[in-house]
Amino acid sequence: MRNKLTKNLNQLLLAIGTIILALLVGAVIISFSGNSPIEAYLSMFNGAFGSKQRFMEVLVKMIPLVIMALGTSVAFKANLWNIGADGQFIMGSIFAIFVTIYSGLPPIIGIPVSIIAAMIGGGLWAGLAGWIKVKFNANEVITTLMLNYIAVYFLSFLVYGPMMDPGGSKMPQTKLIPDAFRLPLFESGNRLHIGIFISLIIVVIMIFFWKSTLGFKIALLGQGEKVTTYSGVSVKKMIVFTMIISGLLSGIAGWTEIYGVQYRLLEGITSGYGSMAIVIALMGGLNPVGILISGFFFSALLVGGATMQRMTDIPFSIVDIVQGLIIIFIIARTAINFKEIKNRIVRRMEHVK
Amino acid sequence: MEELRSKNCAVEMYKIIKEFNDVKANDNVDFFVKNGSIHGLLGENGAGKTTLMNVLYGLYHPEQGEICIKGKKCEIPSPTKAISLGIGMVHQHFMLARPFTIVENVMLGRKSRKGFLLDTKETAEELVALANKYKMKIDPYAKIWQLSVGEQQRVEILTALYQGAEILILDEPTAVLTPQEVDGLFETLREMKNDGKAIILITHKLEEILSIVDEVTVLRDGVMIGHVEVDCNTTKSSLTKMMVGRDVLFNFDKSLVEAGAKKLVIKDLKVLNDKNFLALDGFSLDINEGEILGLAGVDGNGQKELCEALTGIRHVESGEVKLDNINIENKPPLFAIEKGIAHIPEDRHITGLALGWSLKKNLIIKTFKANSKFGLIDEKKIEDRWEKAKIAYQIKANSGDDWARDLSGGNQQKVILARELENNPAILIANQPTRGLDIGATEYVRQKILDAKSEGTSVLLVSADLEEILQLSDRIAVIYDGKLMGILPSGSDVKEIGELMMGKKMEVEHDA
Repeated sequence: MRNKLTKNLNQLLLAIGTIILALLVGAVIISFSGNSPIEAYLSMFNGAFGSKQRFMEVLVKMIPLVIMALGTSVAFKANLWNIGADGQFIMGSIFAIFVTIYSGLPPIIGIPVSIIAAMIGGGLWAGLAGWIKVKFNANEVITTLMLNYIAVYFLSFLVYGPMMDPGGSKMPQTKLIPDAFRLPLFESGNRLHIGIFISLIIVVIMIFFWKSTLGFKIALLGQGEKVTTYSGVSVKKMIVFTMIISGLLSGIAGWTEIYGVQYRLLEGITSGYGSMAIVIALMGGLNPVGILISGFFFSALLVGGATMQRMTDIPFSIVDIVQGLIIIFIIARTAINFKEIKNRIVRRMEHVK
Repeated sequence: MEELRSKNCAVEMYKIIKEFNDVKANDNVDFFVKNGSIHGLLGENGAGKTTLMNVLYGLYHPEQGEICIKGKKCEIPSPTKAISLGIGMVHQHFMLARPFTIVENVMLGRKSRKGFLLDTKETAEELVALANKYKMKIDPYAKIWQLSVGEQQRVEILTALYQGAEILILDEPTAVLTPQEVDGLFETLREMKNDGKAIILITHKLEEILSIVDEVTVLRDGVMIGHVEVDCNTTKSSLTKMMVGRDVLFNFDKSLVEAGAKKLVIKDLKVLNDKNFLALDGFSLDINEGEILGLAGVDGNGQKELCEALTGIRHVESGEVKLDNINIENKPPLFAIEKGIAHIPEDRHITGLALGWSLKKNLIIKTFKANSKFGLIDEKKIEDRWEKAKIAYQIKANSGDDWARDLSGGNQQKVILARELENNPAILIANQPTRGLDIGATEYVRQKILDAKSEGTSVLLVSADLEEILQLSDRIAVIYDGKLMGILPSGSDVKEIGELMMGKKMEVEHDA
């Protein structure tokens, strides 16, 4: 038990260390650009936590990001590099809104059906990449990335074409979903909706998921295909399964964004959440609670950065730089692999004993 | 100290201390090798043999100590420096570019004498001359991947000689060779010795020490235990005692069994390897109830593919495998697991264990369904399971939450044994079960295999180590190039087995 606790604590300290390092290097870059790093970070912090309104906005961003990162983490844990969360988010959204707009179901049935549709859309899109990998041995990094483009352009086609809002002024978007379908807000004038509970519930579900036999098999796949086959688990089946589960979570993320914030499909709906979800998943150590924490941090960075840009002359790209630095440090951390170095020393010690 | 130095010494190492994180892997080790001699460096795994040689080869930098090569004090900061001092090393795992030819491999890392053009032809000629001098046969234009392991080793040795090595370090060179190949290697080494070269043989095999080595240095726990000249008074048991610090009895009580009914029947098996070549070409073999059948053979003659085919991991092209008269070929791996076919794979790091997982989870990777409740892994049950296994199999670890990666090879193998032997399997397929383990662990694993047999398990023991095969087997089968060469009774002559391992069919088979 204590062992586990120190492991988690180590993870947390390492994550905080990574962030501090990224912020420090970011500070150097900001001062090169002729701005004051202290001012930048203060206004960023202020922008995220300065008022109740801003803090709630952080939570709004956090809802889809955390769910998507959880989805991404499922694939990553199996050593499948699903970088197509954006595409799965989009396909989930399209499926959901399609049912809602065209089926005419009453909200009481229509809402659950739309969630299921979102899961099917996202799950199929990722599962397709998994199937291609199993069938043709195509690298999932390439296929999920390509499927992203297909999803993005398919969405454009829909909102410029058949699904364009007939009442709108030729804007690339669908018509709004009826009020009854929208997720309730906490208070009017604020965008925070009850989707925050959905994301928390999914975090809890994922904690149990990793203790389940299915989670066991997925994590086993991440330990290597040979040991998985050896253990009597079908690698091919698990690859497709893992991708489907990974994608259906991103589909749900799309659903929360549509039904809680946008109320319609529109171009650019993912706003690059997918790449951020990858960073959140990695920084959270692929662990549900870790992902919740790092998801919160990145949402604050996003909202704070946007406010900073509005309030000062410092550009939003600082946020991108900090995000990029964090990715670099995480990769460096894996590449240098302190654990492995430590292990070698420990092993050596045991040998000598 | 000064007086110890003599012109006759090729290598002198004084008071070498090499620490890893405050633990001394080499603790004040003195080591001397004479010119024109074969020097054995003996010790268990982790005794510090390889560390010491890595210091000599410039891969490690000692905290303290002095090295003299040919009587001259030297600093060896890198392998490049070591090579320029005339030190060559043949590693246990060969460092060869497989798609390249022999001569191309030798040319790697060296400037061509023809400027921008390659001097392949000249080098090849020199290489052949060099090989002939030391009684090695090579084709300089053969590609590495086409060569047997023994031939690849020859390339490594030749490369070192070509680079001008006067002092040659060989790390466990015989581990991968047949008895006949070992003889060939030893002949080469003797030739080199007569030529005045100094040869250092890292080993933990006592037969080798007695048959070829002139002097031996024994290390234990990083300390030099002794330095002996090998003569007729040197015995295996005296060396073992120096090495292990206690007496080891390698005599197992092999209870003789009545030949039982046929348990596993393999008939005309054809199986492809990863490169889509036939790895097994019409292989047939029966394993009887309650016997240990030893399958001897040089690595890479289809043993791995056989084990994988029997456990459902590899596709069978044709032929059949019957367990208790039920066909088991081309069934999913889970089927074999449920039928009670236990498998100790050749490669415990990639196949046998999930290295990044805890030990207790590794114990249940095949039985996670039985160890779960309502679809969730039963943490308490697997903790209990771990506690039992830890005691029953004497696994040395702090807790079941330790990573498999962090254990020594012997303890990793014990975890695999604990998992595979859990429910008295019908069949145990053990592929190279003691490879890379130290004497203590080897003794333990072999005893466990015998225990399993006395519990009624039929065992297929695949091993390249003939000593192991001879110690444990009730019958000895030999595989070569995917075919069964013959079956011999236990206690057969090593030479006879060796000939079959080289591809000579049994006389009986010829007559038939």
